[in-house]
Amino acid sequence: MIFITILIGCILGAIIGMNVPMISYTYSSYLAIAIIAALDSVFGGITSVINKNFDLKIFVTGFFGNAILAILLTILGQKLNVDIYLAAIVVFVGRMFVNLSIIRRYYVDKWLNKSQNKDKTK
Amino acid sequence: MKKNIKKGKITMIITIGITCFILVLVMSMQFKIVNQTDITSIENMREAELRTEFANWKSKYEDIEQQYDETMEKIEEYRTTSQSNEETEKLVDEELEQLNMSLGKTDVQGQGIEVTLRETNNEEIARINGDDLLVIVNALKIAGAEAISINDERIINMSDIVDINETFIKVNGKRILAPYVIKAIGNSAYLETALTGNGGHVDEMKKIGQDVSIEKSNKVKILKYEGEINLKYIQ
Repeated sequence: MIFITILIGCILGAIIGMNVPMISYTYSSYLAIAIIAALDSVFGGITSVINKNFDLKIFVTGFFGNAILAILLTILGQKLNVDIYLAAIVVFVGRMFVNLSIIRRYYVDKWLNKSQNKDKTK
Repeated sequence: MKKNIKKGKITMIITIGITCFILVLVMSMQFKIVNQTDITSIENMREAELRTEFANWKSKYEDIEQQYDETMEKIEEYRTTSQSNEETEKLVDEELEQLNMSLGKTDVQGQGIEVTLRETNNEEIARINGDDLLVIVNALKIAGAEAISINDERIINMSDIVDINETFIKVNGKRILAPYVIKAIGNSAYLETALTGNGGHVDEMKKIGQDVSIEKSNKVKILKYEGEINLKYIQ
């Protein structure tokens, strides 16, 4: 059920996104930073699911809040002539790697346990 | 209780679907932008690069504009100087023309008189000689004549009037024959009085019976000096 919804959402988004009129190149840096923030939120959400403390409200607010905050920070950085978006990318990507490593460990452990159990049953 | 859980699950699924939708939407938009802007190298540059490039071009543009302004100023300067040159040229031309007129190198026309001296057939009356012409020309010069000619030989500053052996007269080195027509441009009244007034030469000539007539005119035409004016020793 949940995978079907995700799939439908992804396909719909891809189709509409490809047919939406072009946005000026000037705003693409804002979009990029928003995407990074959103991806970070997604991986954070997956991690929290693995840790069994997933909260939908926190996930949704984090998803949108981080994206909007990242965009605002980038705009502020451009106004101040400081590349704040670099800091945002470092933080988000760093957190993404941490979350990814947690997910990886969880699944590796799970797989190892499974194979050990298989061995034991043998 | 079960319904509650189901409701919560449905909202969760819907929310996650919406977030997925938005995420992929934005991502695909970004992909599209990046793909399309990759086509040309200029748009591929980072904004900072473009900014520096823009600043470079702007400074270049300003430089060129300044140069353009300077050049335009120079052109304006040249134009004004050339204009003043033209003016001076005009003035010089006018001066030259006037000089030529007074020198006798151009045909001139104006108010003046014509004195005609005819030889009489009477043997008793003295023939007209060069001195008569010389005296008349001198009198005309004193009366303010601006141009004088005898039988269309222009009298210039170095002109000569000579009587050769009491047989013929040479003006400007050329032989002239009677009747002698002396043309003079100037105030016609003054010129006439200078010749006909008390003690005037024409008056005296008339007294001894010579045939002299004076005609005033508003359009006396005097031809130019035909010879060349060569200055060899004047420095």
